[in-house]
Amino acid sequence: TSTPACCGVLPFCRTRKMDLLSSKWLVNLLVCCLFVGVGCNSVEKKIYVNLNYTVPCVRLLNATHQIGCQSHLSGNVGVLHVLESEENLDWVLHSGLTPPYLVILESSLFTRSIMMKLKNGSSRVAGVAVVTPNANPSQGTSPHTSCPNENTGVYTENYDPTMARCNVTVWNPLGTGLSYEEFDFPIFAMKEDNDTQVIRQCYMDHNRAGNGSTPQYPLCAMQLYSHMSAVTDTATCMRRNNINFSLSPEMVCDPLSDFNVWASTRPLNNTAKGHKEGESVVLAAARLDSRSFFFDIAPGAESGVSGFVALLAAAHALRNATQEAPPPRNILYAFFHGETFDYIGSSRMVYDMEKNNFAVDLDNIHSVLEVGQVGLHAESRLWLHSDPVSRKNSSVNEEVKKLILRLQSAASGLNVSVEEPGFSQPLPPSSFQRFLRARPIPGVVIEDHRSAFTNSFYESMYDNAEYLNISYPPDLTPDEQLEYVTDTAKVSPTLAVATVVARTLYIQAGGAESRLGSINADPQMVTRILYGFLVRSNNSWFQQLIPSDLRTGPRTSTWYLLANLTGSTVNVMSDTCFNNCVFVLLPQMYSYLWVQGAAPPNSTERVGFCMRSAARLSKALSPAFDLHEYTSKDYSTWTESRWKTIKGRIFLVASHELEMLTLGVGVGVLLTSLMLTYIMSSKADILFSSGREPANATY
Amino acid sequence: MNLERVPNEEKLTLCRKYYLGGYAFLPFLWLVNVVWFFKEAFMKPVYTEQLQIKKYVKRSALGLLLWVTVLTTWITIFQRFRAEWGEVGDYLSFTIPLGIP
Repeated sequence: TSTPACCGVLPFCRTRKMDLLSSKWLVNLLVCCLFVGVGCNSVEKKIYVNLNYTVPCVRLLNATHQIGCQSHLSGNVGVLHVLESEENLDWVLHSGLTPPYLVILESSLFTRSIMMKLKNGSSRVAGVAVVTPNANPSQGTSPHTSCPNENTGVYTENYDPTMARCNVTVWNPLGTGLSYEEFDFPIFAMKEDNDTQVIRQCYMDHNRAGNGSTPQYPLCAMQLYSHMSAVTDTATCMRRNNINFSLSPEMVCDPLSDFNVWASTRPLNNTAKGHKEGESVVLAAARLDSRSFFFDIAPGAESGVSGFVALLAAAHALRNATQEAPPPRNILYAFFHGETFDYIGSSRMVYDMEKNNFAVDLDNIHSVLEVGQVGLHAESRLWLHSDPVSRKNSSVNEEVKKLILRLQSAASGLNVSVEEPGFSQPLPPSSFQRFLRARPIPGVVIEDHRSAFTNSFYESMYDNAEYLNISYPPDLTPDEQLEYVTDTAKVSPTLAVATVVARTLYIQAGGAESRLGSINADPQMVTRILYGFLVRSNNSWFQQLIPSDLRTGPRTSTWYLLANLTGSTVNVMSDTCFNNCVFVLLPQMYSYLWVQGAAPPNSTERVGFCMRSAARLSKALSPAFDLHEYTSKDYSTWTESRWKTIKGRIFLVASHELEMLTLGVGVGVLLTSLMLTYIMSSKADILFSSGREPANATY
Repeated sequence: MNLERVPNEEKLTLCRKYYLGGYAFLPFLWLVNVVWFFKEAFMKPVYTEQLQIKKYVKRSALGLLLWVTVLTTWITIFQRFRAEWGEVGDYLSFTIPLGIP
């Protein structure tokens, strides 16, 4: 387009050019607006219904075995079947006409016998989906083994053959060992929600055999994806992790690792590792972790939380006494992670102490007091377990007797009785066993069971707040629930244990008896901590103390809580606290954490502060991985496989014959059209020349 | 390349080049030799260079057969037994399948 001759002289020429442009844009805009009003429909959404809540069981490997579940790379597809009873298994395993089946189990049918039968018939079983109920079952069941951690405790054939392998006491008699079996089909857990209703409805509509007739295709089917990358055992998967020259190097598994949390009442110089002259330490230990059959569901209320909450409350109760009248010995609180999987945390701490890589040494430890499972009421009795083999040594025996006497005197006046089991029994599975493996240290483990566990849901997904009877009146808001001192907190052994442990630790550390009466655990504190770990971690108290992105899992929450319960505020600006780089602070003696704090009543901005405490993290990775001994028998060798996608979906599936017929028709059409094209092209001159002859006759 | 228009001496040199090249661990050259010159060697009327071409084609076919046997045997053994060889199998592999031994 040429510019008009008047442009550049007269102003209205420009507007005319702009008019042309703007009308073009207007047209474009109108066309775009038309598209906005157009909708679209996805064919995939019409076929598949994706499941929202899917919790798989994953594959774990150790030095010799692989446990857990595996699916095909392209998912396992199976026709849905809701199992009604154990006899109904016959349909799935033998008489059903449309294998493979994907079995939907109610939680009451998720037993060892049914799962073993399904495992044996796995060519006809595509997968299992377990519907977890909203309420705990009445019958106790534990998927863990009946003798937890039997190979990595202190009771080996060398130490004492009569006590190895739970010969004296079977600690977990309800244990089925289901968590440690290997399945080659996926097993998912589903909640009782809308998705499960859709699944049941689909089954009723299509798969139900009505009046004795077999159900006809199309049938309702489900597809589960949980392909695990690692295989065979830890040595194989660590080797495959490290292969350098493959075309696409890929990590297939990760060692189970996390951090232990520890703190001392008198700060220790953390940069000077190894033996500390003159330092005598009383170790107070508890366990942080737990597990269940499924991935990432690990409430562990009685198995783990009760113990470490009692120790946290004891640390809080001791804060004033240890600061005003510090006892001669130091008290070291240690919360170990990974104890479920062959004592990862405690074996690492013992290893660090042996290699002079920790703030203190094994020679610095005077005695050990461990808090085990203490959450159940059980007639308000606490049992003190000790190791009979090390007590054969008279000096160790004397120390243990003194410790037991102190525990009993600390419990006097409280509503709880504290006694020894009364017969020679090995220690229950506890972190103290790893310390005994290294040195015969005097120590006691406090539990609420005399011999076998009273916990009927040990390491199970049902070991939750409901099992500990933590319930609230129905009309409380979350904040009110947080502050409500439940009956559990008031009368449970958890509170009594906290007071007993606190007082005993004070006396054991050499403190004065006169102060004992003032050391009491705070029921408000116990109830808040229990609420935060068992009911809802996103409560107002946790929000003040723990950064929001770190609130998953017990480790960081315990660290921040311990820092707050045993530390003190320091008046510095936020960035100096965070960076630890101001010379006036002492990073080798203390750790500094920035705490969000609460918002003052008039504003919404939180006023943060710097918390100085002796609470630190120490790495909890099994020494087997540092030493590259992946077949070690002494240390934990557990690794967890990696995976790509975990999902599930349901859809209607057609019969095999229909699929083959469709494929056959398609191939037939292809061949026919190829043949037709060939024939037409070879006879083209006959077929297409007849039109030309009249054209030759020109007039 | 259309062999119809190539003079016979050039056909012979081509066949010889492909035959000799196959010795450098290139069995596909022998395959090409056999397929391309088969008609020339066995189905055309006799000409002077045909005897030589026949010799090269026969030898290429022999070499090809040997390679196919060796490779098939090795591949079958490797695919069948790699899982049982453990460490050695992993170090011999370029891509290791995930999730299966």
